[in-house]
Amino acid sequence: MSIAVAVEQGRSEVSGGADGLLTRLGTWTENLSEQAYAYLLLAPGFLVLLLFAFWPLASAIRMSFFADVITSGSLGEFVGLQNYVRLLTNTNALAPAAFVDPSFETPILEQALFMTVGFAVLSVTGETLLGFLYAMLMKAEYKGRRLVRLFIILPWAIPIVIQGMIFFLLFRPGYGLLTEPLQQLGIFSSLPLNTTFDAFVIVTVADVWKTSAFMALLILAGLESVNQDLYEVADVMGASRWQRFRYITFPLVFPVLMVAMLFRTMGALRVYGIIESTTVGCSTVPSMTCLVTQMMFGSATQYGSAAAVSVLIAIVVGLFIMVYLGFIRRSNQSLGLA
Amino acid sequence: MSIDARNHEDAETFDGSGDESGGESDDDNRSPIQRWADDWIRNPEKAYAVMLVFLGGVLLTTSLFPLYWLFNVAMAPPGQTDIPLLPETIDLSAFVQVFQQVPFARFMFNSLFYAFTVTVFVLLVASLAGYAFGRLEFRGKTPLLFALLVLSFFPPATLFIPLFRAFNQQVPMLGLFTLPVEIYGTPGAVVAPLSAFTMPLAIFILTTFYGQIPDGLEEAARVEGTTRIGALFRVIMPLSAPGVATAGILTFITVYTEFFFSFLMTGNSAAEWAPVVDGVIAFQTQYTVRYDLQAAASLIAIVPVAILVVVAQDKIISGLTQGALKE
Repeated sequence: MSIAVAVEQGRSEVSGGADGLLTRLGTWTENLSEQAYAYLLLAPGFLVLLLFAFWPLASAIRMSFFADVITSGSLGEFVGLQNYVRLLTNTNALAPAAFVDPSFETPILEQALFMTVGFAVLSVTGETLLGFLYAMLMKAEYKGRRLVRLFIILPWAIPIVIQGMIFFLLFRPGYGLLTEPLQQLGIFSSLPLNTTFDAFVIVTVADVWKTSAFMALLILAGLESVNQDLYEVADVMGASRWQRFRYITFPLVFPVLMVAMLFRTMGALRVYGIIESTTVGCSTVPSMTCLVTQMMFGSATQYGSAAAVSVLIAIVVGLFIMVYLGFIRRSNQSLGLA
Repeated sequence: MSIDARNHEDAETFDGSGDESGGESDDDNRSPIQRWADDWIRNPEKAYAVMLVFLGGVLLTTSLFPLYWLFNVAMAPPGQTDIPLLPETIDLSAFVQVFQQVPFARFMFNSLFYAFTVTVFVLLVASLAGYAFGRLEFRGKTPLLFALLVLSFFPPATLFIPLFRAFNQQVPMLGLFTLPVEIYGTPGAVVAPLSAFTMPLAIFILTTFYGQIPDGLEEAARVEGTTRIGALFRVIMPLSAPGVATAGILTFITVYTEFFFSFLMTGNSAAEWAPVVDGVIAFQTQYTVRYDLQAAASLIAIVPVAILVVVAQDKIISGLTQGALKE
């Protein structure tokens, strides 16, 4: 129906005679080969990407091979891989802060890597579990489902700074609603936002709160695209609810789940905004991206090292992606899709 | 006796409607458990419904509590630091003061302007690219798609220094040309980079959707005399409406909630195109912080995206279901 309408519209607007320039442009594109037409269509997008993504990226990678000039925001001489070697072996005397291990014995980068990967694993696990529950709640049919869906999605649409402020207010030293009870239970210290372990937990919880909703949306999409006939067959065969979940829902949602987890892992490995906006700060929970910003905007500007750290982040993200893609491929094979 | 009677009543309402109030009052009542167990074994669907309601209550509390707390802070009198779980007074004056003390409406406008402009631009440009990737065969397709993927490996901070130098210090872009001095502090300094960051995902989503439209439909339109470009905008795009909506909403929300670029690429006054983040921070001066106003401002800032979610939730869900994830 809508197809017919769309075709009809297309015809009527063309026969109605569009203005001259567009028509001529249209006729010109008619005569291009498929290949040339494809490049023409890609041109605007890739022009924007070239200027504002690929060029800055390339110039950042180039920066990582040059020495830091601490006093001014410029680059020193070409040093090859020296920045990387120094970062990985910790002779970086100008590291932004003592971070987790104040003795300086653990390389800064190792601490940041440990923190970031830990954060990614814990938050993505939490988000997946909670997201699955949310998705089931959004899928079930009952009165008021629209409202429930809104409430579930809402945290995802909240600006990071506001999310940070909420959790700052909840855990503010002395006055935050949860500061004192958790302290009395002996779980948190009296300054949870300035204690690495506590702050790490707070940042993780804040992230899970906000992004479970996004996870739920993707998982819900997976649940909705499962062929409902399968459940009827299962019912006829007398499958229990658990068996239906174990043998139908889970395997069919698994590829979507992997994609959703992949998206979120990429986000979590680059975590920064929530650390800054809860006032936890990079010296308490030093993520990898924290290192980059501290080196760029800190008192000693280290553009070369900062760029090297971001290349290392990209490598870590790339490794995670390869693992996920492996899982996705294997699950597709087992479903006979690939 | 009276306790038993009460329990019995509870159990009745519980059986009858299975509504939320029934689901939450069961903790301290042990005696009707036997009855429930019998009932549930006979009728497992009911047990699942009850569990769902209970779980739903817990999940919704988790989801909404932080927002409730923010509302609570907004209602507290200025300067009150110890904020109770339940508000002592209902005082909405903070929501009005927000607009009186700073040009908060302008901050909101700035952020909405960024989100709207980027979304329209990205949808347009990503549609062209999505069409090429989804429906045309050409050399270099896979490497180009891979290049898009690699972009998202890097934290936005990486791209910031080169862009900041290009926008603010007139370092030549691509080593070829410099941007005009005036561009820093204009919407362009935020819209251009954010368009570039949000474009890869939009292209991926639209590629999937456009690729799924049967060739026959496009050919039918072409036979009718529609041009190639016309077919994209008059046939392919309308038929992929859920996908376009999904890509649009994801872009809009990403830009509206974005923190890094909109914050650093602008000044901090509303007239300098500062985003809503600066509006919230504006209630924080060197000596005082008005948490009540910050909380109220935050809640107001959430309203536009909340409306978007209300209006578009079905579109997002159907858009994601129909294809965005199938590849």
